Amino acid sequence: MLDPRTKMLLVVTSASVLIGGGSGGAMNVIKPVLTAVPLLLFLCSGKWKAAVIYTTVYTFAFAGEIFLVPVTTGFVNFIVIACCGMFARFMPGIAMGSYLVNTTTVSEFMAAMERMKLPQKLSIPLSVMFRFFPTVTQEYGAIGDAMRMRGIRFGGGKPAKMLEYRMVPLMVSCVKIGEELSAAALTRGLGAPIGRTNICKIGFKGYDAAAMLICAVSVIALLLEKVT
Amino acid sequence: MKQKIQAKDLINVGIFTAIMFVVTMAVAMLGYIPIFIPLLSVLVPVIGGIPFMLFLTKVKKFGLVTIMAVLIGIVIALMGMGVWVIFTAPLFGVLADLILKSGSYSSVKKSIFGYGIFSMWVIGNFIPIVITRGNYYDMLISGYGQEYADTLMGYIPDWSLLPLLAASFISGLLGALLGRSLLKKHFIRAGIA
Repeated sequence: MLDPRTKMLLVVTSASVLIGGGSGGAMNVIKPVLTAVPLLLFLCSGKWKAAVIYTTVYTFAFAGEIFLVPVTTGFVNFIVIACCGMFARFMPGIAMGSYLVNTTTVSEFMAAMERMKLPQKLSIPLSVMFRFFPTVTQEYGAIGDAMRMRGIRFGGGKPAKMLEYRMVPLMVSCVKIGEELSAAALTRGLGAPIGRTNICKIGFKGYDAAAMLICAVSVIALLLEKVT
Repeated sequence: MKQKIQAKDLINVGIFTAIMFVVTMAVAMLGYIPIFIPLLSVLVPVIGGIPFMLFLTKVKKFGLVTIMAVLIGIVIALMGMGVWVIFTAPLFGVLADLILKSGSYSSVKKSIFGYGIFSMWVIGNFIPIVITRGNYYDMLISGYGQEYADTLMGYIPDWSLLPLLAASFISGLLGALLGRSLLKKHFIRAGIA
């Protein structure tokens, strides 16, 4: 329901404000709001599973940061901070990113980039990448499983070989998939010298205005905080 | 040799950038542990060398490496890992592209050297730690606590930008060599390079 451009703006804002922003002052309001945005979006688009995972992980990380950090010291404290603190900060950005990837089709993405007047030299690789991220991740996981089954893992005797045994199959399968993908895209006229039409209707609506307002306020708060 | 960049080349750029990203992200997760953060400037170039060398076998035109660098900059910024990469990645990307061009995209030595230069984009991630040091330090204290902030700062003193730059260059060379050897061992034989 949101415009792809708004989604991208939300990703950038939540990542930069939550990771780069300090605490206290206006941030006490802005951070929870930004954290809640992905959850709301997940719920609105019926991604129940994602919503539950997001809430659980975030709650654990947040609880860890509040309860575990003050009572631990030294090395344990380090690990707790590293895990909980990082998770609490990065989760909303990652969740927003996955929302962007999962709810935007490639043609919508292309349409949005055309509207932004991005040159084709950037928009084609970007949308291919966008389409390809889930594929590579999937392949990577599948190859990892296969290799574990054959005993190639940390502590499996040949840790040095792990890199080769994982990277080479990954590259081979990705290159193969990529070749098919580019053949398919070329058949559909990608890169043809004339302008392409697009069936997707994108445009800014009321929700977008609300989301942009949140983004604008948070970015201004972040800038004010940096200046003072 | 045709000079015009075609859709097929652009698709290739997208594919290899995605591979580079997934692979380096898997490594970058180590950055959750503070002492590994400086190490990333070594690990990311080494691992990235493998896809990059394979990518180079498909690149015969000027501009593709630059586009890849710009994409890396955009995605890193999108993920909130720092805006500096938007400047450093294209800069080193163009430099690498020029070096590769001077070897007309087939010289092995130039491609290894070129990847060394290309790898220096990683430095963009460390710039905030040095240039806006006070700011970053305050942020770390407020976010992660005094102890964590002190340790991280202790590992990355403010003169460390140059050694890190050198480290990323050298490990870029190593990564390129690793990539070359894998290329010879597997990809050429399998007929995909």
